[in-house]
Amino acid sequence: MNAVSSNGSGTREINLVQAVNEGLRQAMAEDARVMVLGEDVGVNGGVFRVTEGLYKEFGPERVVDTPLAELGIVGASVGLAINGMRPVCEIQFDGFLPTVMDQVICHMGRMRNRTRGRHSIPMVLRAPHGGLVHAPEHHSESPEAYFCHTPGIKVVCPSTPEDAKGLMIAAIRDPDPVVYFEPKALYRAAKGPVPAGPYETPIGKARLAREGSEVSFVSWGAMVYACLKAAELLAGRGVSAEVLDLRTLTPVDIEALLGTAEKTGRVVIAHEAPNAGSWAAELSSLIHERAMLKLKAPVRRVGSWDIRMPLFRLEKYYIPDARRLVRAAEEVLAF
Amino acid sequence: MSLKIVAESKTLRLEVLDEQGRADASLDPQIAPDTLLKMYRTMFEIRAFDEVAFRLQRQGRLGTYPQILGQEATQVVPALALKPADWLVPTYRGQGAYYARGMKLRYSLLYWGGDDRGVHFPEETNDLIFAIPVASHLTQAAGLAWASKIKKDGGAALAYLGDGASSKGDFHEALTFAGAFKLPVIYLIENNHWAISVPRDRQAACETLAQKAAGYGVYGLQVDGNDALAVWKGVSEALDRARSGEGATVLECETYRLGHHTTADDATRYRSSAEVESWKRKDPVLRLKAYLEGRGLWDESREAELKERTQKMIAEEVRAYEDFPPPNPLDMFANNYARAPWALIEQRAELARILEESRDLAEIASLPPPEGRFP
Repeated sequence: MNAVSSNGSGTREINLVQAVNEGLRQAMAEDARVMVLGEDVGVNGGVFRVTEGLYKEFGPERVVDTPLAELGIVGASVGLAINGMRPVCEIQFDGFLPTVMDQVICHMGRMRNRTRGRHSIPMVLRAPHGGLVHAPEHHSESPEAYFCHTPGIKVVCPSTPEDAKGLMIAAIRDPDPVVYFEPKALYRAAKGPVPAGPYETPIGKARLAREGSEVSFVSWGAMVYACLKAAELLAGRGVSAEVLDLRTLTPVDIEALLGTAEKTGRVVIAHEAPNAGSWAAELSSLIHERAMLKLKAPVRRVGSWDIRMPLFRLEKYYIPDARRLVRAAEEVLAF
Repeated sequence: MSLKIVAESKTLRLEVLDEQGRADASLDPQIAPDTLLKMYRTMFEIRAFDEVAFRLQRQGRLGTYPQILGQEATQVVPALALKPADWLVPTYRGQGAYYARGMKLRYSLLYWGGDDRGVHFPEETNDLIFAIPVASHLTQAAGLAWASKIKKDGGAALAYLGDGASSKGDFHEALTFAGAFKLPVIYLIENNHWAISVPRDRQAACETLAQKAAGYGVYGLQVDGNDALAVWKGVSEALDRARSGEGATVLECETYRLGHHTTADDATRYRSSAEVESWKRKDPVLRLKAYLEGRGLWDESREAELKERTQKMIAEEVRAYEDFPPPNPLDMFANNYARAPWALIEQRAELARILEESRDLAEIASLPPPEGRFP
């Protein structure tokens, strides 16, 4: 880990990798049932170094290098959780998630209901999220909609180090399964003040990243920064844009979502996944169903094209950038 | 009532060459000199390429790259043993196998340089695009072999996998199909001892990976994967079995990944240099060279000539890679469906408008016209 700077008030400037790591470490220190498992999470500290140092501190029984078997990692975590442990499992890349959906959909998400409350699954499934890091194929995906569509689980995706740590602790303490997406473009790029002690960022609460009055960007993960840049560009043209960072995708903060929609009347939902069947589509429906009379324009979704993620030389033409967001905002404003 | 043995299996290991490249005459597969020389040249060339590609990545001229250093025999020899119509189903560490099948190295560079145009196989061979999600190609290889069996075309499929991939459910399901349907398929495990940072003994409690085959009624054999002759013999016999209707084979080739997992990895974090050094003594390229010299098929002047020719060839491939015009962003929309639906037609038009409006107009204007089938 890089050295962290201290301002003497118990809050330091650290990056998102360090923040997730600190959340894991403090949750493990406070609860002996918490264990970390996955491919390369132990000796190697994770391919992004998110679990660095945990193996040394908590030992091989609690920080476990598993065989290369993603479905096994998640299925075993379900069993560990039912029998009293608090597993935090890692799937190394977003592109390796499809194989675990059998456990996620058929078991993780519905065990509580199927057993009429007898068995709960207090586990966290961590995975990196998103593109724009020049990664190889199947390493830049945004599969959140598959998980959000699945009943019985919660899905979070922080964009700041402070939220990353607080959401990790909240996810581990949560009695239900939480899928925790880590935007890999932000791992080292996002730096910010983080309180030194343990704390929770509440699951289900959005964060107002920028206040504005004429148009709202709603987003999560790395795309929040493209929205902030777009808001800045719009400000230069005399347009006041708001940016809502959802942080939790499901259960979504419905008050904050409708609040910003009703305030500006113009919403652009920005995300990295293809638009078709996306979580943005669900959010757009919610706004239309519940706030239509306050809208001044139809909600606009800006996602990637409805084709697979290309290899990285074309990723900047695939994932929306600030210019595409400004374009969409201007269309919404001109409606 | 009784307690008796109802099934037994044993697992053999094949070694032909010793560490000095001397062959056991009783096991030597008597490969034709031309084939032996082709094997050696291809292994030599792909090793030289591997070093250049690694350097290109370090210089920022290539994306993440998976080195094959140390695995030249398991990469090249099986691919050369196949007929062009057999199916080659590699892993992402498969540029050696593709090259042995005739794919130009510039395309491997293009792919790892983040350009979809790097997927470019020779017309005359049946090569499948590799899968990055580990082991997900193994059941597909069973299907490819199944189709050959249905069509009675005499073809076989050879799928590569790593020691880590043998832990995945896909491997179990692939062997289940291969065994139950007696399919003409070979599962060649490149056991390079490390799945990124996780060692082989952490993947499975059994002594060998080859013995896993027995549980599916499939023949399993372990060979010294750094012994080109043993790999050739193992693959050739497995192909004979496949073609004669005897079904599938698991061939565990014991080798070693001398490099990092990829250029994004740092192997010094999790394994000792002593271990790496001990495997350098079993170098597959040097052992084959010593064997060839022992048979009078090779000498230092041929080596010098090969080295010079290889350097020129690789320089030409690197130049061709770097001279490729940038990809046209509109290419993304081609080949998604036999006929593109309305949404893609709209979205492609939107991207075209964005590109026209963008400040990168000069850059865009210099692009080649879009490739591929659209709509």
